[in-house]
Amino acid sequence: MKNLIINLKKYSFLLKQLVMRDFKVKYKRSFLGVLWSLLYPLLMTAVMAVVFSNVFKFSTPGVSYLAYLISGLTLFNYFSEASNLAMSSVVANFGLINKVYMPKYIFPLSKALFVGINFLLSLIPLYLVIIFTGTGLNIYHLLLPYSYVCLFLFTLGMGFLLSSVAVFLRDMFYIYGIIITIWTYLTPLMYDINMISPRLAFVMKFNPMYQYVNFARTIILYHNCPTAGQFAGCAVSALAVLALGTLVFKKTQDKFIYYV
Amino acid sequence: MSEVNNASPGNMIEVEDVSMMFNLGIDKGFSLKQGFVDLFSAKKRRQKKEDREKNKFWALKHVSFSVKKGEVVGFIGANGAGKSTMLKIVAGVMKPTEGKVRTYGNICPMIELGAGFDPQLTARENIYLNGAIMGYTEEFIDSKFDEIVEFSELRDFLEVPVQNFSSGMTARLAFSVATVVDPEILIVDEILSVGDIAFQSKSEKKMMEMINGGTTVLFVSHSLGQIKKLCDKIVWIERGEVRKSGGKEVCDDYLTYMNL
Repeated sequence: MKNLIINLKKYSFLLKQLVMRDFKVKYKRSFLGVLWSLLYPLLMTAVMAVVFSNVFKFSTPGVSYLAYLISGLTLFNYFSEASNLAMSSVVANFGLINKVYMPKYIFPLSKALFVGINFLLSLIPLYLVIIFTGTGLNIYHLLLPYSYVCLFLFTLGMGFLLSSVAVFLRDMFYIYGIIITIWTYLTPLMYDINMISPRLAFVMKFNPMYQYVNFARTIILYHNCPTAGQFAGCAVSALAVLALGTLVFKKTQDKFIYYV
Repeated sequence: MSEVNNASPGNMIEVEDVSMMFNLGIDKGFSLKQGFVDLFSAKKRRQKKEDREKNKFWALKHVSFSVKKGEVVGFIGANGAGKSTMLKIVAGVMKPTEGKVRTYGNICPMIELGAGFDPQLTARENIYLNGAIMGYTEEFIDSKFDEIVEFSELRDFLEVPVQNFSSGMTARLAFSVATVVDPEILIVDEILSVGDIAFQSKSEKKMMEMINGGTTVLFVSHSLGQIKKLCDKIVWIERGEVRKSGGKEVCDDYLTYMNL
């Protein structure tokens, strides 16, 4: 633990450089640049809202469907993009790992942080929707960072896990694409959990993503303080996955170099 | 076992009975389909085990040596003899399969220059990124930035993305970033001359300065003239084993052996 902190301090500059590199490269040639981080989630959510509320007649009683949609998608999009990038980060940086010594965990970590910047930017469209749909604010919004931190730790754990598995099993890139699609539908992002059978709804509560989304929606849409159970659900799922991911990564990282 | 030098105080590098095994890439990674097919075939499984044994390649076998402070050690040997693997193990990039390596002091591995360059970033941005990858601190790069730029003679191109550089210019930038430190241990893998004639002589001069400045140096080269001129001690590696080590006479023996 003490070692980790010394290491993190030593490599914080490298971490910062890697995150900045990704950020610069992402927007380098685009005309609208960073503005895309705001526009993209807004437009995507708008399209989905039109399709699901008009074509499929989905609705969420008592709350704006648009606000319902974006409050879940903001979190899920972070998870989906960050875990995907983290998964390929070790394989993509073999050229470096092979030539210079640096702690390998820095690659998934830098991806989770880089997408985190986009996540923070995507809070702007979220709050725009909250205001324009008349959903309104409340004091509990101050508790939201708790669920963001849990989401980050969970995603980081998944990133560690996936990136080390991907080194040994390149099929993972395809498999995970399918898993993410299934996961999108197994998380009540577009529909209300009350629309599905109670049994399935019970199982769904073991989905960590549901925990974070539910926590955020309790505050944003229903203006309630999350229960102790919700607080615990977020923390336990995040820490458990982080511990698992870290363990797998640590156990396998010395073998990465043989699978270049 | 090939003892070169007994461990004693004042050593900067101690390599003890190091062996390094590689899989020769025939079963690189593991594909789900193949794994599934193999699961049902005992013959295939046996075959695979045999393949794995055949695949094993010992790049280094029981190598031991130690290097005292200020010594310049040259490694010679045919392609694929294990010289670069030895350097990478000392640099900490790879962990040896067996044996121990101890180093005392900060290491500057000039194994492949510019490995961390991002072609889309400008020269200025790459100096910081590559510096971070080499393990420099931010303050250090800030203070040495002008020195790096002066040495590379690329001041007019600081804001140009490195992908628009010629390979010579990229090499000059990489060399300038890599050699701006005063490392206690310098590891050099065939990079003494980069760029045009003028820069070649400049970079060689710089290397000589670093080597003569009391730094401990590990050095791989195929130029025996260079090795003879620079090294206090020469280690001849053949098929992963130390064939001979000692003074300049090792070079002559090597030449005789190679029938040249």
